Amino acid sequence: MRRPRMEHALEIGRLRPVSTGARSAAKASDRGDDAAAIRAVAAGDQDAFSHLYERYVRMVHAILLGRVPRRDADDLVQDVFLIAYTRIGELRDAAAFAGWLAAIARNRATDYLRQSREQVELPDELPGGDAIEAETLAVLDAVRRLPEAYRETLLMRLVEGMSGNEIAERTGLTPASVRVNLHRGMKLLREKLGWVSHE
Amino acid sequence: MSDDYLWDGSGAPDPDVQKLERLLAPLRTPPAAAPRLPARPVQWRTLRYLGPALAAAAAVLLMVSATLRTRPAAGSWTVASVAGQPRVESARLTGTGRIAVGQTLITDGGSQARLTVATIGQVTVDTNSRVRLVATGDGHHALALERGTLHALISAPPGQFVVSTPSATATDLGCAYTLHVDEDGAGYLTVTSGWVALAAHERESLVPVGASCRTDTKRGPGTPSYDDADQELKWALDEFDRADDATTRSARLKVVLEHAGPGDAVTLWHLISRVDAPDRPAVVDALAEFLAMPDGVTRDAVLALDPAALDRWWNALGLGDADWWRQLKLVSW
Repeated sequence: MRRPRMEHALEIGRLRPVSTGARSAAKASDRGDDAAAIRAVAAGDQDAFSHLYERYVRMVHAILLGRVPRRDADDLVQDVFLIAYTRIGELRDAAAFAGWLAAIARNRATDYLRQSREQVELPDELPGGDAIEAETLAVLDAVRRLPEAYRETLLMRLVEGMSGNEIAERTGLTPASVRVNLHRGMKLLREKLGWVSHE
Repeated sequence: MSDDYLWDGSGAPDPDVQKLERLLAPLRTPPAAAPRLPARPVQWRTLRYLGPALAAAAAVLLMVSATLRTRPAAGSWTVASVAGQPRVESARLTGTGRIAVGQTLITDGGSQARLTVATIGQVTVDTNSRVRLVATGDGHHALALERGTLHALISAPPGQFVVSTPSATATDLGCAYTLHVDEDGAGYLTVTSGWVALAAHERESLVPVGASCRTDTKRGPGTPSYDDADQELKWALDEFDRADDATTRSARLKVVLEHAGPGDAVTLWHLISRVDAPDRPAVVDALAEFLAMPDGVTRDAVLALDPAALDRWWNALGLGDADWWRQLKLVSW
């Protein structure tokens, strides 16, 4: 199996890629847009930042929703993008932006949960809050108990309304992997909910 | 039924998917504009290295001063409540107390605790966790994490601190890490300093700083990968570790190799001994593309899984020699 030869850079005992090799034409185009936006954001361009926000906000929200109470997920989305802005100089490869942003979202959720354990935990549903059906919360709870890859992909599809191709484009996964995640995730979710599978 | 509707809403509607879409729609991202940017991006390039180094130095100083002040009685450690009221067996803990060998520390949804590991470090136990003190003394300290999450910060020669879980045993090789155990006994290790060796079922994984590794009660340690590795690679690696049949394993391995880069040399090194024999040459060649075999190490020896050849190639990664890990195993296992 031949792949593009990469340059090496030794960094604290770890070999890291300097270039990630060939990409599909479609992804290259999207990531070309991202690359230009990332450079502009690094220079403080608000419009470019808004562009990245619009492209990735649903992915970030889905990742957070899979980990933290829903009200907190809404607030933490803004945190994640501001953290990404302050650290955007660390990003050496624009093609890695989606995975890098997703990692920031997962880490922010972990930090948030760690901090919030020292406070009184609030139920997902509060008096005076917007009404959410109990069945909705039960389904969300079941999705949260799925393996990470299935959980995030299903939340992007079922909550955020993203298509499989959109999920692949935003996350950096191949469409085939997204299809597997959706199919297996849905199968597991049906089992957890006690719904009869249509397979 | 086809997955077309699940894929993109086309084709014949799937009633289950439609119901889920309806139920979950209220949770969708609320419309909001991007946050306003601060005046200038913070220049983190220097701070990202200096900051953690200063924080680590401060933590070690605090740890040393704290452990010097509170030398433990033989066979027990100091345990302090960090939040709520953790329990040592049935006794509720407020402030500080002691935990003896054989006793179990239990935290609920609102409590956390901190253990002082003799004079070598600290372990913070998160909510909803059960941790038993197995042994302490004479350069050997052991915990059993039955479920939940702990964060360990250890400053001691390698091999002195061990945490067993239902799916693997984690041996500290001079480091800081977070270890989580699910209700079903599966685990997840993330290393934030130094490295950790995971072992079970005659499998071992050496997990360096910046990498993570899953553990499974049936298979033992999974294959480590760096946290910033390609998402597709990480997905395929998880599937590879979970798969029992050769066809699936081979297919997932192909994805791993397609997405692997020089930064994934640690992952590739582990895969050499885990893949099925027909797939081994592809893994060896992939690693050789990124990391030359040292003098004296041959492709044939690696393909034959010669331990000395594999260890010498590991040493070429520059993460620390494998020799003392082998010696440690001979003494400890």
